Amino acid sequence: MEFYLKVLEITCLFTILVLGAYLMTGLTGLFSLGQGGFVSIGAYTAAIAFLKFNLPFPACLALAVAMGAAVGFVIGLPTLRLHRDYFLLVTFGFGEMVRAALLHLAQLTGGALGVAGIPKMVGLPTIILSIVVITLITANLKRSRFGRNCIAIRDDELAATLMGIPVYRHKMAVFILSSAITAYGGALYAFVIMFIEPNLFNWLESAKLIIITFVGGVNSITGAIVTSVVYYSFGEFFRFVDVWRDVLLALAVLLVTIFRSQGIFGNWELTLSNLRFWKRKADSPWKS
Amino acid sequence: MEEEGGLTVEVLKVTEISKNFGGVSAVANFSMVQRENEITAIIGPNGAGKTTVFNLITGVYPVDTGRVWFYDQETTRMFAHTITALGITRTFQNIRLFRNLNVLDNIKVAYGVKTRYTVWEEMGRLPRVRQEEREAADLARSYLAYFGMEKYADYFPYNLSYGLQRRLELARALMASPKLLLLDEPGAGLNPKEIRELMGTLLKIKEEKKLSMIVVEHHMELVMNICSTLHVLDFGKKIAEGRPEEIKKNEQVLQAYLGDEV
Repeated sequence: MEFYLKVLEITCLFTILVLGAYLMTGLTGLFSLGQGGFVSIGAYTAAIAFLKFNLPFPACLALAVAMGAAVGFVIGLPTLRLHRDYFLLVTFGFGEMVRAALLHLAQLTGGALGVAGIPKMVGLPTIILSIVVITLITANLKRSRFGRNCIAIRDDELAATLMGIPVYRHKMAVFILSSAITAYGGALYAFVIMFIEPNLFNWLESAKLIIITFVGGVNSITGAIVTSVVYYSFGEFFRFVDVWRDVLLALAVLLVTIFRSQGIFGNWELTLSNLRFWKRKADSPWKS
Repeated sequence: MEEEGGLTVEVLKVTEISKNFGGVSAVANFSMVQRENEITAIIGPNGAGKTTVFNLITGVYPVDTGRVWFYDQETTRMFAHTITALGITRTFQNIRLFRNLNVLDNIKVAYGVKTRYTVWEEMGRLPRVRQEEREAADLARSYLAYFGMEKYADYFPYNLSYGLQRRLELARALMASPKLLLLDEPGAGLNPKEIRELMGTLLKIKEEKKLSMIVVEHHMELVMNICSTLHVLDFGKKIAEGRPEEIKKNEQVLQAYLGDEV
């Protein structure tokens, strides 16, 4: 039981990170390999604020979110002028830079030894509540102007500009929001795992977040969440296959991109009206 | 600018705009005036710089020299999205719809410039968001109905025929309630029957929405029938301006289109 609870906690934690990546990469099409950097920033900010400055726990979380948003703003200023591959390279550099900085600022961060002795302040209820709130926010954004603008920018930046969308400013809003969510996930991570070190989230982990949003379907929050839960939890149960785990993921990605380029869930979202539609279909199969 | 209550108001004034691309002159010293509730055309052989003129007016590229006014406001150095918000929208030569948004959402995108709610309100989907989203949906549906496309609301653009995609682009451009509409080859890829329908539609829009339009077009039938003024471009320079019947007889224009031997 203990084990399953632990798996569930970690799965849910990563799902928060996937939601952050979904906004940026899924909805807006900004490929960032720097998500790991924001996880670390969130985790370290919260942990150091709590242990070294004795701030109350909620204030630590708020500080982590603020720090993530602020760093996102600063990093976004130059990088959001870049396109596709250039943006990817610079965010990759940012992620690795954070890692190097954490290693070398040893007085503050403990260097390679990491930060140990963080109390376990976060349990499953807090994490699940966080997911619900973040999902609601993301879903609300997706179905009004914000989300339409994201998708418009992803599909055709020029047409988006000429339809009156301030592309750069909108990307900035997405970047800041995504960074804030990711940093929040990182802060929770610190108080769940109770130990953080500079290598906790490298660029490969950031890449996995992107892959998960794509396999789930870039137009579906439901897809991102379900794929994330399946990937991270099954990973724990299938430990015996060891390195083959990544091979299996690669295979799954390959199959999805070939046979379902829109992702597993495509445009489908789990909403009340969609459920009712399903139910109606099930009730009266002869009608359709 | 003419006095109040005068004959016509200038919607757009372009003075001597030029644009070079790496030493190649795409547009040179082009000037034009667009009056209210009028359809004008920019015509010329392929590569004459017609689309570039549109790109300069809408702020896609900055002009090298020259200035652009929209009503009393200079828009020369403005961002493209600001110019759209002021009231100039356009369609594209190679249709540019948002392929991951359905037909209704494609139109709603253009309503973004009209919405007043903030991102924070959006996150919680507060009453103002709900209300303005409802308004957007109603208006978008009314535009779909206007173009006889109600039943396609849930379709995705790639499921529509070419002609319908063109109509959708027009609907989207109107959704931003522009005062000036720039149409880049609205008739490209349409058959003669569809072209005649398009002419009717454009005239109807002009009357009902009190719009001014500038059309870049190759179909002479369309241009000659619905445009009051023609600007002829060749190699980025304006070689003629006038009413359709004047242009038809213009020596220089015939030469540009048909070659020297004529």
